[in-house]
Amino acid sequence: MFSRKFLFSVNPLLKIGVSLAIVAVALSLKTLDAIVVLVIVLLALLVTSIRIPLKSAIAVIIAFLLFIAFGTLTLSNWQLALFYALRLLALSLPAPVFALTTSPTDLVRALQAIKLPSFLVLSLMLVWRFLPVIQQESQRILEANQLRGVELSRQPHRWFSGLFVPLVFRIVSYADEVTIGLETRGYDPSLPRTISKPLTWQSRDTVFTIASWLIFGIVAHLEF
Amino acid sequence: MSRWQLRDYVFAAFMTIGIAIASVITVPLTLSIPLPGVRTIVWAPFAGIFLTLGMARLQRCGSVALMIGTLAMLLSRISWIIGAFLVGALLITEGVLWFRGGYRQRLDRLIGNVVFFASATVTGAIVGAYAAGDAFAAWISQAWILIPMTLLSGLAGAIGWWMGEKIVTQLQRAGKLNV
Repeated sequence: MFSRKFLFSVNPLLKIGVSLAIVAVALSLKTLDAIVVLVIVLLALLVTSIRIPLKSAIAVIIAFLLFIAFGTLTLSNWQLALFYALRLLALSLPAPVFALTTSPTDLVRALQAIKLPSFLVLSLMLVWRFLPVIQQESQRILEANQLRGVELSRQPHRWFSGLFVPLVFRIVSYADEVTIGLETRGYDPSLPRTISKPLTWQSRDTVFTIASWLIFGIVAHLEF
Repeated sequence: MSRWQLRDYVFAAFMTIGIAIASVITVPLTLSIPLPGVRTIVWAPFAGIFLTLGMARLQRCGSVALMIGTLAMLLSRISWIIGAFLVGALLITEGVLWFRGGYRQRLDRLIGNVVFFASATVTGAIVGAYAAGDAFAAWISQAWILIPMTLLSGLAGAIGWWMGEKIVTQLQRAGKLNV
């Protein structure tokens, strides 16, 4: 039984590989039938794995229809316009589908497993960890401005002095504090690191691989 | 020049966060405008502040690659297309600045900003056109659209550099940045 959690528990490296393969396949497709099947599968994965806010879904549908209308106007061929719109969807969907079903921790473990340079893994970890914190800081700065009667959302010319200068000072302070914290704990990005939960190949990964090959086979059959 | 230190990586990561926040604030303002590079034009003045700070602090070749490479990996979670054009732009920028030996001088940082944001518009248009197909490619490959947007992106990058240098001076005065 396909559960909402299925895609979350698939090996993140496998998901990255499959999403790259989907992008490569989407770029090479030439027939409408094949691209329709690929997009239907991706949409099914998206809908069954992630809760999509209604507003976002409506915005995407409107953008999709506008893209078809624009393509029909410029190409004078609605079928070709539909094909390009579907291809754009097939290129755009894999990354969010697989990213939103992979936790940052799992992704970091996957990147460590493929021996990505440790400084890059460290950078990614820091960005994921501190992006929400710095966003909260920027929200605080906006609120502090509001208390002083400055509505920054309506005054972009004040963004530099009112938002970005204090934000930069906060970010630089955070960078200093985190560096000191890491140095005090003896962190060295060049040293080999251990992983508490190493990635393993599980039966659901085999199921996912077989299902992916099956779908690629159907798409190839329709294409040729 | 000394080896990359832990503090360099941490500083670059925090500048990446700043660049990402600049995009969160500015990009939604232009989502409905179907012009190539328009998002870069509004993003560049504010992202350029953090890019300039990172260049001023790190100074050596690879600084932009470290900041934008991490950003590309982060934004690849939204779309491979964004990751691809950012990588293209950072390779061009690092390629150009490699001949100048890094980002030590203000002029180097100005060139770095202008080249990065202008090339981001061009690579974004190329990758976008390749992904979206003939209709979009025909629209954005028109010289009267692409050339002005590229020039405006470079100009927006220069504004970002100017604001970034102002903050570098303020940080130096406050004793928070050792350049």
